[in-house]
Amino acid sequence: MHSMPRLSALLALSTALAGAPAVAEMNRSLNLNGATGLIDMPSGDAQDDARFTFSTALVGSITRTTLSFQITERLSGSFRFQTWRDWNTLFPADSDKFEDRSFDLRYQILKEGAYVPALTIGLQDFTGNGTFASEYVAATKTFGNRLKVTAGLGWGRMGSFGGIGEPFGDRPEVSDPGTPNSDQWFRGEAAPFAGVEYKITDQWTFKAEYSSDDYVLEQERGLIERDSPFNFGFEYQRGPNMRYGLYSLYGTEAAFVFHLILDPKTRAAGGVMGAAPVAVKARPARAADPDAYDGGWVTQADAGPLLRKNLAKRLAVDGIVIENLAYTATTAQIRVRSNRIDAGPQAIGRTARALSHVMPASVETFEIVPVVNGMGASKVTIRRSDLEQLEYAANNATLLRQRVVITDAGPVPANAVGDDGLYPKFRWGLKPAVKMSEPLKGDIGLRLSASYDFRPGLVLSGAIYKSVFSNVDRSGEYSDSTLPHVRTDNSRYSKFADPGLEQLTLAWYARPAEDFYSRVTFGYLERMHAGISGEVLWKPVDSRLALGVEVNYTKQRDTDGGLGFDEYYYDVTTGHVSAYYDFGNGFLGQLDVGKYLAGDVGATLSVDRVFANGWRVGAFATVTNATSAEFGEGAFDKGIRFSIPLTWAMGTETRQSFGATLRPYTGDGGARVDVNGRLYESIREYHTQSLDPDWGRVWR
Amino acid sequence: MTMNRLIATFAALALLAACGSDKSEPSPMGAAVGSLAKATVSRVSGNGAGGQAKAPAPPSRADIEKYGMPILRAVIPTRGADALVTISDQKGPVVTWSTTDGTTFTLREGVLIQTRGLGPDLMSAAAPGVGQLLRDGGTHQRVYYFLGQDDVSTRRTYDCTVDVKGRESVTIFGRAHAVTRVTEECKRPLGTLTNEYWIEGTTIRKSRQWVSGLIGHIDFERVVD
Repeated sequence: MHSMPRLSALLALSTALAGAPAVAEMNRSLNLNGATGLIDMPSGDAQDDARFTFSTALVGSITRTTLSFQITERLSGSFRFQTWRDWNTLFPADSDKFEDRSFDLRYQILKEGAYVPALTIGLQDFTGNGTFASEYVAATKTFGNRLKVTAGLGWGRMGSFGGIGEPFGDRPEVSDPGTPNSDQWFRGEAAPFAGVEYKITDQWTFKAEYSSDDYVLEQERGLIERDSPFNFGFEYQRGPNMRYGLYSLYGTEAAFVFHLILDPKTRAAGGVMGAAPVAVKARPARAADPDAYDGGWVTQADAGPLLRKNLAKRLAVDGIVIENLAYTATTAQIRVRSNRIDAGPQAIGRTARALSHVMPASVETFEIVPVVNGMGASKVTIRRSDLEQLEYAANNATLLRQRVVITDAGPVPANAVGDDGLYPKFRWGLKPAVKMSEPLKGDIGLRLSASYDFRPGLVLSGAIYKSVFSNVDRSGEYSDSTLPHVRTDNSRYSKFADPGLEQLTLAWYARPAEDFYSRVTFGYLERMHAGISGEVLWKPVDSRLALGVEVNYTKQRDTDGGLGFDEYYYDVTTGHVSAYYDFGNGFLGQLDVGKYLAGDVGATLSVDRVFANGWRVGAFATVTNATSAEFGEGAFDKGIRFSIPLTWAMGTETRQSFGATLRPYTGDGGARVDVNGRLYESIREYHTQSLDPDWGRVWR
Repeated sequence: MTMNRLIATFAALALLAACGSDKSEPSPMGAAVGSLAKATVSRVSGNGAGGQAKAPAPPSRADIEKYGMPILRAVIPTRGADALVTISDQKGPVVTWSTTDGTTFTLREGVLIQTRGLGPDLMSAAAPGVGQLLRDGGTHQRVYYFLGQDDVSTRRTYDCTVDVKGRESVTIFGRAHAVTRVTEECKRPLGTLTNEYWIEGTTIRKSRQWVSGLIGHIDFERVVD
């Protein structure tokens, strides 16, 4: 078959091009502020559930970079970094830039119907110092499949031009920047705005609007001259993921926007990529070959190492490593670590297929224990005859799940077959690493990491980072925070610890009892703090609730990235009691109560939306007894975080991801030590609530 | 142009840094560059003038038969893919055919019930047997199972009618086969699809069968029994 390599190469090649079909219905597009809307004004529309967008807009000398997430079908949120250049042209001062960060929330009250318009109520910059604050109600109706009309009423900035009075009274000044400014909302002058969107072709859209934002701030600073309330321009949609817009603003300015549009639920690669599995090996019928089912093989001394070796060879194809193999004549328990496949069910399915090829016919029960950091995370028990029967059955995933039992991993069986040279194991890597601290701000560099596994669950690991390109603050100044500088001397660490030792720890993970997991980490835990961190987690396999306790004793490290503690003489005991709850549909909640690095006491509430394919978007807020003045600009610690699995974007089988935690302001209050290998996230993947959503991948 | 420079930068970083002891973990940067490069190459070959001219002459039946094993030809129009595949697993009427690069097609009596390795795969299916497909006017329900949004198992259920069109002759790699042409017309509230079969005796000699929304149809030809 000399043609096969060419033909199959073609097959492999073309899979890279798979994409979603072109959008047929009218787009619900975004505006310059990264919110669903017209040009500078919002609309009544909402994005598709779970859509994650990254927008960069240039409005004259203003740059707006916005991350938006459709949290639920009706609720969406945005986090925006805004820079005004030439800020001090008229008022010369130290910096010619002014920066502001803002949060938005929008809720769609009505979805569009045959006669009813889509109606959205929104808060823009609702916790900041009011620089970009607006509230609005906007209604949008589609006519046919080409025209959309929007009308709305705005307050704050969006009520600053063409006002019709103050329906809900005066708008007070922002009294407590950083906290929700609820006393301002919908107060002061209200002004109407309106606009149209017209779809010319599937790619091109024309937009025009009447804006109720007077750009008072920018006009005062001489940044923007506002001659007209009318804005118009064109947008170009390039494939499902990119949209560009070019506009004329306020009769004097040009604006450009680029939107990166990502749908976490839909793989950019079109589907789960990676090679097909080997078929399940069918055993001969017991009646036809009763000898094959004889269990006498268990008494053979060399059976264990041989089986283990054969399994290891088969599983290596999928990046799965065997930690342990134990067996009787009828049951095999295999403990495996999945280093490459990103979904638990698929790793389990591949392991079961390998067992069907290697284990003698008398073995009817497969117990597969996924191992994370040396800890058995759960035990998935599959009957071999179910695997054989259901391989080609319709709806085989659901049918198999009904017959599979998922329980606590339990202790390692006493008769487990040895290590086969797996331990001790040394690993190292030199890889590019991106550290994002703001949209379009961060470090690109190289990380040299190494780890040494003494035995399952006992790991010595370290990492050194060298920045290659950076646009973060590297001034090296001490911050003026009145709290201990546990986080705010960031610029010193960025400047002096380059290259620097990020981490050097000895970690010990264990299963002290059923449903309990434990971790002790000792050494240089993170860039700024070193010491000892201990954690215990209670998490039954099928429970939505988990509880944990963590205690740390740490000293602040020197800013030179070395081993010393001579710069700060700061040590502290911190600790938290944590409750984790899985609300279903991918929503995870977490509440931590305890003492933070600066000695402050309080609580952190986090909510994350996680997807079966590994996407994760969340927000958190920490309130402690550190005062607003002590904390600084933001009043209290809060932010958003996201993580995008690389396999989702590229289709390559890998467990790596790209992510960041973004805060409007980093203060010293509400800070926790940043230790690797926290237990809940480590083991959650293999518990029922995480295995079930994408269980279908067991047959992938 | 900036895109190319970006790719070059990433490629340089990836080459510089794609080293370590873990061979099982591919470098994601390298993979990114790889898939971009692939996409670029295939776009070029798709658009380039005379791109088709380079294709070598198709193998002859003699070339294919000399391997002495059953061969199925699978053509995926949406992927521009054309492959000769061999059997990797057989369990009674269910036969799994594999390409050399890890894509499989599983057919029961010649009716497609699973694919793997295509991406938007058909995970399993409730599908008719050849007997049902030869009964003119016969009806049956067909269910396709996929990994849908966020990898959640989803299904599409169709009500199908068999239409036996009559006798025909099809030629596969130079050999003529006397076949019965059959269509399977399937409907559901959200759409319709058609599968076509050319059946020789009780063997599906040739077929055009639907796989999934993003793949569309695959054309199968049973070249060597």
